Amino acid sequence: MNGPLLAVSGLSKHYRRAGKMVAAADDVAFDIQPGQTLALAGPSGSGKSTIARLVLRLIEPDAGNIRFEDADFLALGGAALRARRARLQMVFQDPLAAFNPRATVARVLDDPLRIHGIAERSERPRRIAALLERVGLPTELAQRAIHEISGGQRQRVAIARAIATKPSLIVLDEAVSALDVSVRGKILELLLDLQREEGIAYLFISHDLGVVRAIAHRVAILDGGRIAESGDARAVIDVPRSAIGKALVAAAPKLPAPARTAS
Amino acid sequence: MNPLLSIRDLTVRYDSRHDKAPALRSASLDVSVGERLAIIGESGSGKSTLALAIAGLLPRPARIQGSIDWFLPLDGKAPLGGRDIGFVFQDPSGSLDPVMSIGKQIGEVIRTHLGLGRRAARARAAELIERVRLPDPRAVLNAYPHQLSGGQRQRVAIAAAIAAGPKLLIADEATSALDTIVQAEIVTLIRQLVAEDGMTLIFISHDIALAAELAQRVAVFRHGELVEVGETADIVTKPRTAYTRSLLDAHLGLDAAPLLDLTPPVPA
Ligand SMILES: Nc1ncnc2c1ncn2[C@@H]1O[C@H](COP(=O)(O)OP(=O)(O)OP(=O)(O)O)[C@@H](O)[C@H]1O
Ligand SMILES: Nc1ncnc2c1ncn2[C@@H]1O[C@H](COP(=O)(O)OP(=O)(O)OP(=O)(O)O)[C@@H](O)[C@H]1O
Ligand SMILES: [Mg+2]
Ligand SMILES: [Mg+2]
Repeated sequence: MNGPLLAVSGLSKHYRRAGKMVAAADDVAFDIQPGQTLALAGPSGSGKSTIARLVLRLIEPDAGNIRFEDADFLALGGAALRARRARLQMVFQDPLAAFNPRATVARVLDDPLRIHGIAERSERPRRIAALLERVGLPTELAQRAIHEISGGQRQRVAIARAIATKPSLIVLDEAVSALDVSVRGKILELLLDLQREEGIAYLFISHDLGVVRAIAHRVAILDGGRIAESGDARAVIDVPRSAIGKALVAAAPKLPAPARTAS
Repeated sequence: MNPLLSIRDLTVRYDSRHDKAPALRSASLDVSVGERLAIIGESGSGKSTLALAIAGLLPRPARIQGSIDWFLPLDGKAPLGGRDIGFVFQDPSGSLDPVMSIGKQIGEVIRTHLGLGRRAARARAAELIERVRLPDPRAVLNAYPHQLSGGQRQRVAIAAAIAAGPKLLIADEATSALDTIVQAEIVTLIRQLVAEDGMTLIFISHDIALAAELAQRVAVFRHGELVEVGETADIVTKPRTAYTRSLLDAHLGLDAAPLLDLTPPVPA
């Protein structure tokens, strides 16, 4: 591959809501390089999840292009689309909603291995154990039901499932927003480890600018379906130029200074 | 300050195969009328359990020991959810009916508890939608939950919780899904409601900075136990426990050291 991993241009999606048109995504363009993290930040309703769903082809755009791994992603169908989907995975905020809560962890991890023909039936239990280990979970967890494990453990399972098919890009929509700070810190470390070791790129959606600044290479700030500004994550968040960027940064809650120990 | 409720030695157990330890162990806490109290602590520490116990909303198999005494003119009756206590649930989709329009859901609360007619209820619902800063209130009233973004749904849940003018508002991670601007607006709104309507607030959050901005007192929970409780400034600047210290250190503020290994950003 010689271009970016993902190149999006002119992407638009409108919704009709109670008789009015809402521009959920409006002429959006961005690139993601292999092994890099692009964060999408922006106020509630600015179109972050819509863009995630468009990139994953869970919904179809009104207009625009999506190139993924040098292929016209929107033109793919059938077997070619299925094959390419293995390279583009997702993790959402609430894994309970994404999984059948009664399914076991083993079952959740078995699905992608089977569907994408990644491992023979006899080999899969070993693969599942390896995936659990990779995301820092005890292998005994495989036999538990999804509703019997904690939120942080569930999010690790969701990441294990996402990496099962050896993706080049994972879309994470508010994937750490529901986690407490200590669990969140560990999950972020895990994501950075996976990126370093397997070269995975992330489209990382979060309204938490502190998290974005800590883990993303670049950030695009959305407002009303449009990109208001984009650039190096720390540069943009430290000195935002757009009105919305400034407002988001100014409104972030801050701890009084003496609270922090030097790190 | 006048007491609103007094919790003594509250222990809550869920019947669960994997979990023998109580979800809440011997917690004692007083809440005053008109105060803003934050409850923080790691996942599974018992925050929601405490909130549900106060609101009388614990699921059936849960067993309670200890006492929760109310100082409200209730004639010996338990406070009523919706009317006396507004509750914003951690999972906003759980508190909204997917097949009912937003206007109808909020209107329903108003009609049940305030006895208003259909038109008056709708007008009040529109007012509430504006109060939680949802854009285009008219369109939102006619919309269904799936047509709103996550943060928009959360604001609807807050509007429904305050619809009947409750004495106590319990917000369980109510602003965690919101961007900082709306979050700051909701925080201002909640302050206003407390100040103007004489409401009392119990605010549950993972975000210690947000909790510190909103609350006068902070209670820290861990493994079902109350670790410490005190004035916000004291908890945040001189915590008495290592656990509270670790929560403060794990906060990723805008000035935190990045986790990502990067050469310094190229100046633009
Ligand atoms: N199925 C739908 N029908 C109608 N409108 C929709 C639909 N899905 C999203 N929208 C609207 O599109 C806009 C963008 O929504 P989106 O969910 O992408 O926002 P978001 O940036 O992810 O917000 P949040 O931070 O609250 O999750 C919002 O105004 C939303 O109400
Ligand atoms: N309905 C239930 N049945 C059985 N166990 C439960 C139930 N609800 C909570 N628990 C358990 O009780 C303990 C306390 O849970 P609780 O939901 O009160 O924690 P929390 O502090 O609100 O956590 P979070 O920050 O993740 O929301 C946990 O061990 C949890 O697994
Ligand atoms: Mg979203
Ligand atoms: Mg909870």
